[in-house]
Amino acid sequence: MKRRPTVPSSLRNPMSGALSRRQMMGGMAAGLAAAGLPMSARAQADQIALLTWDAYADPRLLDMWRKETGKDIRYEIHISDPTSVNRLRAGETNVWNFINLNNPWARQVLWPEGLIYDLPRDRFEPLYAQMFEKFAMPYDWALSEDGNNLLGVVQRFETFDFVVNSDVIAPATAKDEGWDLFNNPDFAGRYGILAYEDWNVMDICMGAGIHPYKPKTEADYAKFEETARRWINNAKMITTDFVQLNLAMLNGEIDLYFTGGTYTASSARAEGATNIYAITPNSGPADGKGGINWIELNSAVANPTGKEATFDFLEWITTPDAAEIVARGNGNLQPVSQMAQDEVLSRFSADELDAIQWDEFDERISNAVEFDIIPDYDRLYDIYSAAIRDRG
Amino acid sequence: MKPGPLFALPVALFLLVGFAAPIVIVGWYSLIEPRSFDLTSDLTLANYRAAFTEGYGGPFYWSIFGALLTTLTCALIAWPTAKMLHARAGRGAAIITGLIAVPIFVSESVRLFGLSLFMMPGGGILAGSLKALFGVSIGTVLNTKIAVYLGLVYVHFPFMLFPLLLGVALIPRDRIDAARDLGASRWQVLREVELPLALPGLAIGALLTFVLCIGANAEAAILGGQAVTVVTRAIEQRFSYAQDWPMGAALTMLVTLVTAIVVFPVLARIDLNRLIRR
Repeated sequence: MKRRPTVPSSLRNPMSGALSRRQMMGGMAAGLAAAGLPMSARAQADQIALLTWDAYADPRLLDMWRKETGKDIRYEIHISDPTSVNRLRAGETNVWNFINLNNPWARQVLWPEGLIYDLPRDRFEPLYAQMFEKFAMPYDWALSEDGNNLLGVVQRFETFDFVVNSDVIAPATAKDEGWDLFNNPDFAGRYGILAYEDWNVMDICMGAGIHPYKPKTEADYAKFEETARRWINNAKMITTDFVQLNLAMLNGEIDLYFTGGTYTASSARAEGATNIYAITPNSGPADGKGGINWIELNSAVANPTGKEATFDFLEWITTPDAAEIVARGNGNLQPVSQMAQDEVLSRFSADELDAIQWDEFDERISNAVEFDIIPDYDRLYDIYSAAIRDRG
Repeated sequence: MKPGPLFALPVALFLLVGFAAPIVIVGWYSLIEPRSFDLTSDLTLANYRAAFTEGYGGPFYWSIFGALLTTLTCALIAWPTAKMLHARAGRGAAIITGLIAVPIFVSESVRLFGLSLFMMPGGGILAGSLKALFGVSIGTVLNTKIAVYLGLVYVHFPFMLFPLLLGVALIPRDRIDAARDLGASRWQVLREVELPLALPGLAIGALLTFVLCIGANAEAAILGGQAVTVVTRAIEQRFSYAQDWPMGAALTMLVTLVTAIVVFPVLARIDLNRLIRR
C-alpha cells in the first residue's frame, strides 16, 4: 500500500489539536455537573449511540472514550448495510449519532436523503492526509456527488472474497482459478458459505461471470439462479459464524469458504493457523477484477442531539491509540487507513502483519473492484433466498 | 376483598400491550405491499399468496416435522425418566433432576456450540478423544439433518420432562396396584391407567416442546450447517437482508396460526386445576 509522506505531529494526533487539555477538563467538568441532572437530560447531552460494525463496539475502545471524555457511549451492531439504512429512513436518526457503512451508502443514499450531516472540511480533511495515497482528497466515496460536502471519515478497508486451506489449495492456484474454484465439481461438498447474504449475492455474481454492480440482463438472472442453486446445494455447510468455518477447515471438513477475507481469517492466522489463507482472485468479471474491496465510511447521523460529541468521536477514532484498537477490534486484526503512519503500523508485530497478509495487501486491493450498491439487489436476493429455502 | 375482574386488570393490560397489540401490528404489516413500510397503503393478500407459491412449503415442513419428531422423541425418553425419578423421590432423584435442569440456565447458543465442539470431526471432543485414546477414526453427523434433530432433543428435553414429572405424580399408586390385582397386563396399566391420569402433564410438556421447536432456529444454524432451512430462518431473512417486512409478517402470522391450531384444542382438553391439585 502506497503510504503518505510524513505529516506534522499535530495532524498525526488530531485529538491534541482539536481538543486542548483545558477543553477536555472543561468537558469533563461539564460531565460531572451534568451528573446532577435528571438521567434523560444527562444522557441526551452526553451519550452518543453507534450503529456500527463490530470493531467500534470493542469494549476497550468504548472504555477509552468514556475515560477520556467522560461521555457515555452505546452501540448496536448492523445486520447488513441496507437494514441499517432503512432504520435511519424509518426515523431512527434521533436514536443514533454515528453510523459506519460501506463506501457507497453515504454519497448515494444517506446524504441525498438528509440522513447524515456533512463534516467541517477544515477540521476533517487533514485526517485524509494521514491515510494511504488511495484516500487522497478529493476522495470520491467520502464526498457528495457534487464534491462539495465531506460525508465521513475512512478507516477500515479490505478485500472480502474467499478463504482457502493453503495446505490443500496453493494460494497462487486459488488466485488464478478465482471464483471458478466453487464451480469446480471436485470441490462440491468441500466448501462452506459464510451467510453474510448480501456478500454471497455479489460472490455468486462473480462466479456466474456477471459484474455485480452493473444492471443485469434476463440471461444474467438465469445464469445467476443456476449458479446460486448449484453453489448453495453443493455447500457442505452454511453458517453465520466464521469461527465454525475456520474450525471446519482445520478439521478437514472443508477446504475453502466464501465469503471471507482478512476479517475472517486473521484471528485464526494470529493463533498460528497460517494455512487459513484469504484469497483475492487475480481476475474476474468486474471490469476484469474478481475481488471486492470494501471501505467503511464513518459518518455523523443527522441527529442534533450529540452532534458535536459525534464530530469529536469521528476525529478521535483516527488517533493512533484508537485506530490501533479499531484495527484489533473484537479480536480480529483488520487493516485501517491510519496504518499509513509509522506510529500506527509499528504497533503491529511481524506475526500480526503476517496474520493480515500485509505483504500482499497492495496486490489484493489492486485486484479488487470497489464495493458498490447492487442494482436490482431485491430480485437477486429473492433468487438467492429461494435457493437457500430449497436446500435440503 | 374477594378477587374479581379488577384483579385481572394488570394481566389484561399486560397482555393487551405485550401480546395483542404486536399481533395486530404484525397482522397489519402482513397485508401491505411487499417490501413497503407504509401502514396506510392499500391492503393486499399478495404476501399470503407468495407464502404458498414461492417455496416456503419446505421451511414450514421442516419446522413442523422437526417439532413433531422432537416432541415424540422427548416424550419417549421423558416417560421412563419421569417414572424413575418419581419412584426414587428422595433417593438421589433431586441430583438427577438438578443435572437435567441446570443446563436450562445456560444460554442455548452456548450449549449448542458446546455440542458442536463435541461432534466435530478431527479435533472434536468425541472424535479427537477416540482417536487419541483408542486410535479409532469416526465420522460426524455435524452439518446434517440428524445433528439438527439431536440438537432439538437435547435442548427441549427438560421442557417435556418437568411437566411430565407433575403428571406422573398424579398417578395414585393404589390405582396401579388395583389394576394389577384385577389382572391387567403392564401394557394395559400403561394405556388404561397411567397415561390417562398423567395426561395433563404429558400434554403440557408436549405443547411446550412443540411450540418451542416450531420457533427454533439455532439448532439448524449452529449444528445443521443449514442442511435444512426452518421457517424462523426464512422469516429472519425477510425481515433482515430482504427488508421485506410484510412478507416476514405474513409468514409470522401463518406460524402463529399453525401454533394456535395445535395449542387451543389441546388446552381445551386439559384440566389445569387437576395438574396443580385443586
